[in-house]
Amino acid sequence: MSLHKARIKAFEDILDEDLVNIEQLQKLAFNGVPDEKGLRSFVWKILLHYIPLEKSAWESTLQKKRQLYQQLINEIIVSPGGPTDHPLNLSPDSSWSTYFKDNEVLLQIDKDVRRLCPDISFFQSATEFPCSEIVNSNGVKRLHKRVEQSVLKYSTLERRGLGVAKLSNEIRRSESITSGDYTPLNEGCEAHWEVVERMLFLYAKLNPGQGYVQGMNEIIGPIYHTFASDCNVNFRKHAEADCFFCFTNLMAEIRDFFIRTLDETESGINYMMTKLCECVKKNDRAVWDRLEKQELRPQYYSFRWLTLLLSQEFSLPDVERIWDSLFADPQRFNSLIYICCAMILLVRDNILNADFASNVKLLQNFPPMDVSLILNKAVEISSG
Amino acid sequence: MLVLVLGDLHIPHRCSSLPPKFKKLLLPGRIQHILCTGNLCTKESYDYLKTLASDVHVVRGDFDENSTYPEQKVITVGQFRIGLIHGHQVVPWGDEESLALVQRQLDVDILISGHTHRFEAYEHENKFYINPGSATGAYSPLYRNATPSFVLMDIQSSTVVTYVYKLLGDEVKVERIEYKKA
Repeated sequence: MSLHKARIKAFEDILDEDLVNIEQLQKLAFNGVPDEKGLRSFVWKILLHYIPLEKSAWESTLQKKRQLYQQLINEIIVSPGGPTDHPLNLSPDSSWSTYFKDNEVLLQIDKDVRRLCPDISFFQSATEFPCSEIVNSNGVKRLHKRVEQSVLKYSTLERRGLGVAKLSNEIRRSESITSGDYTPLNEGCEAHWEVVERMLFLYAKLNPGQGYVQGMNEIIGPIYHTFASDCNVNFRKHAEADCFFCFTNLMAEIRDFFIRTLDETESGINYMMTKLCECVKKNDRAVWDRLEKQELRPQYYSFRWLTLLLSQEFSLPDVERIWDSLFADPQRFNSLIYICCAMILLVRDNILNADFASNVKLLQNFPPMDVSLILNKAVEISSG
Repeated sequence: MLVLVLGDLHIPHRCSSLPPKFKKLLLPGRIQHILCTGNLCTKESYDYLKTLASDVHVVRGDFDENSTYPEQKVITVGQFRIGLIHGHQVVPWGDEESLALVQRQLDVDILISGHTHRFEAYEHENKFYINPGSATGAYSPLYRNATPSFVLMDIQSSTVVTYVYKLLGDEVKVERIEYKKA
């Protein structure tokens, strides 16, 4: 049996138990989850506390959650109106004024999901399992329709002198603005970016205290991609619902990064950056001195690394590999600090020899690198 | 889809501005399309409409400074063909049969006209007729004391829900009328 097959077997053995041994699973997943047999997608669901550890509860939990998600869609994505309401109603409890307020959030989401992973075609392609209530609603319920800029088609009546009056040909002033490849699909189909848009909108509606913050699209993207490319059709079919709850669970852990007022607290982003700095200082004094002398603050590069869990620094397959380790970390997100620290240490020679400008550039556009190299270094740092 | 219908503002000749109560309701960002029956009469009023919505359609009234507005226009919204005319050309003014003639000429489902400064909305031989009245309540030769009013149409696949906004005294009253395409 090859090494790779042995790893798959090891995962399957753990998942075959009546009660999944979470420590073992975490240990195993830390070194990467194979893509085969939908393992990664399944293991992530366990690591993100979506699927319970007791095997007997798997079926019922999934069913319950998926039903709940359908219910959420039906309750939240509704057309405004009512016998006593009207579109210009300014009172805060009018369904129309809520509708317009939601559209402001939706506009931002719409822009962001249309630039999700432009280097792969996945998010622009049609999903196999569109949400039928939405796509067959004559466009009424489709979220992007609500914020689309459109112009009406018109023709004018022309009369020359005393001649016959004649309607001009229909004039279409510049077609509704479409953004490249991320064009909406026809009635009955929807692209993956539309699914992501819907999940983010529901999340924003259900978490009014936090709402939608730019960057969340980059967090949900890799999760959805993993779930929606599961080789097991039963899981693929419910990728949307599963992804929504996993994303919600993950956000519960990292949401403080996205709230400005919590930046200074122990779970906030500034604290994380300070921790990263300390980690670098402890492990490589020379690099730390250099960065300090150049006044290259961690805010300049590590803000994005930490808030978006490195999803912007690497290509999608590498991100998924890194997230295996992040999700497997029992004390999330200590390993994130170690990985970021490892990234800095791996380019130490460049940092020590270059000036401020090229160092900023280097750290903001981290060079492509074998992720296993980074992860091994991170393990070394954490045990050191 | 929301379409705002208004006209006969006559600013600044007969009125100085829209009633403040209307201005408060008409916030930018809610409406994308405006159909205007004309008699704005100046460029300033047109510019104001442009701040509310990007897609503004105007036909020429008898007091419009801008003579490039077309006399009549046909606008398509989903399944509906909507005719737009100021109405001073239709004699007798606001007459049901005369307007029906225009409706047949343009072959539209909904005919919108103004000029009389009096709100009207009715079905006639399965077609729908709307007169949004004067948004400023400017006087007309026929009515000295016109009620300021405008109309907002919510156009769905085969129904139009028409909301009528009237300023009665100091209060805005809203009525709702539904029209279903046969």
